[in-house]
Amino acid sequence: MTESLRWNFDDLVEMAVTGQVSQPTMRPNGYLHWPDGRAAILPGMSGIAYNARVGDRAFGWAGDHVEPGVSIAHADEKSDMALHYLTCIGNEAEVMTGLARGARGIVTGEHARLLVDFAPEVLEDLTIGDTVQIRARGRGVRLTDHPELEFKKTSPALAQAYGLRAENGQIICPVAMELPARIMGSGAELNAEYVDQDLMSGDRELMAEAGIDRMRLGDLIAIRDVDHRFGRSYREGWVAICLCIHGDSVMTGHGPGILTLITGPADRLGFAVEPGANIAQTLNIRSIA
Amino acid sequence: MTPPLSTNSADLVAVSVAGHIVHPGFPGLPAEPYRLASDGTAFLLPTYGGIVYNVSVGDRAFGLAADCIHPGVSIRQSEDTRNRGLNVYACVGNRAKVMTGQAAGTTGIVTGKSGRFSEQVIIHFPKAARARMAVGDQITIRSEGIGMALTDHPSVMLKGIGPELLAALPRRTEAGRIDFGVVATIPAHLVGAGLGLTSEGGSLHLQSTDRRELARHGLDALRLGDIVALADTDSRYNHGFLRGARAIGVVCTTDGPRAGFGPGIAILMTAPAGELGGFEAPGTNIATLLSLEP
Repeated sequence: MTESLRWNFDDLVEMAVTGQVSQPTMRPNGYLHWPDGRAAILPGMSGIAYNARVGDRAFGWAGDHVEPGVSIAHADEKSDMALHYLTCIGNEAEVMTGLARGARGIVTGEHARLLVDFAPEVLEDLTIGDTVQIRARGRGVRLTDHPELEFKKTSPALAQAYGLRAENGQIICPVAMELPARIMGSGAELNAEYVDQDLMSGDRELMAEAGIDRMRLGDLIAIRDVDHRFGRSYREGWVAICLCIHGDSVMTGHGPGILTLITGPADRLGFAVEPGANIAQTLNIRSIA
Repeated sequence: MTPPLSTNSADLVAVSVAGHIVHPGFPGLPAEPYRLASDGTAFLLPTYGGIVYNVSVGDRAFGLAADCIHPGVSIRQSEDTRNRGLNVYACVGNRAKVMTGQAAGTTGIVTGKSGRFSEQVIIHFPKAARARMAVGDQITIRSEGIGMALTDHPSVMLKGIGPELLAALPRRTEAGRIDFGVVATIPAHLVGAGLGLTSEGGSLHLQSTDRRELARHGLDALRLGDIVALADTDSRYNHGFLRGARAIGVVCTTDGPRAGFGPGIAILMTAPAGELGGFEAPGTNIATLLSLEP
């Protein structure tokens, strides 16, 4: 008999937050460096990514930190923080200005900007500066009978899309792959409510051996022995369920971005590797082969 | 007697960099002064910056009522690009001199640096001199070490280490590999904040949330100034994971309660593929190696 999971959806507050479609950004002097010091200039962060979409591969782009879909930000810092902290993955977005006004999208990630997926034809009508409004809902979400689990940036839509199941008091989440704690890198200095932590892809042989280089944007990811409640640190006997939000990087200590969604003690939170555990599929954004 | 280490130290350029003793800072009202421990509890403890009167290199790194405190005196430049110059150029072991105020003329030694969010240079001065110093005093460092290379070990990259400290480190060479004496080796899964950030300046932190794991690896008794190795860590250009790579550094800040953080380590050297090793050498500490005056 399957336990039916009870969520506190009725208690969640829904609020509007907005941002503007951003221009791509680069560092002064432009160069990024490979682990051996070789310099490169590559596209990736911010802007409208026409041909990189949630569900696509995370590795192998001629790009760095490729952000799928449309990156939006608010010019006022405090408003931008609200955009970051209130928006949840799976929230609905709407274009409020310009040629694409009225088009609907779905939040698929949070990096330096919020990442929103729109259908390819909508991208043709979007321009830098267009306002996108998000109906932010999901902060405070919890499973009523499983208080040991902490959910972050989980919209009600994503909560349903996880496909969670209870087995002997433990909640099991389907994931596309597991990552070892020792390759979790840049972002260790940040709080766990803000953006992501990159997996470190500099050991290219390990990426291939472990099949990590088959990761897709939008994949759900499990990590054992990490506690992601208030920051991201190594702690034996804890688990984090995360989301791949951006593409690989050439830089040492960087790689695909892994955003925290659920964390809890391992006897309460488990995972099962299952093909198709990708939000492009489970949020009905697009089907992936 | 160990033969002298071949370096290009005769070719190094010594340049002045300077900073001012920084005042500790907190966010302004209405922000809460608290920071979060890894278990989510709010804490209020002294943190980086300022003149620290009673904590010095050689003291314990764990157990103080502090969050990543810097021993001795911390300096920076108020303008970012100048501060970057200070943080990159200053090398551990370089000589510093107080140029203004009641302690003018006193000399000290650079013992570390801190990274993202603080970006300060940490200097040891004798306790008696600290009592005469004031926030804002200008300190000049004779920076020397950037560009230094090991002639016989070109795969080993030196990072922010002065020639005097390099010469003083216990070492052995074997079949083209060079090994340095270390107090402990940190496994890759306990390397935390600083990963992915620059390895030219700043610091990389041992993450200390899991105390049992620290004890298991003999890391819970580290002292400020201890020389440590970081396994599978490539610090050539940023810090990151790579099997077979190694970094060696000096513990330069105390432990702290935040997730991902713990004692800060100023990285001194690195190599990507086994060219740099470490051997157990208990008590290898820059307080002794550089004869720091208490």
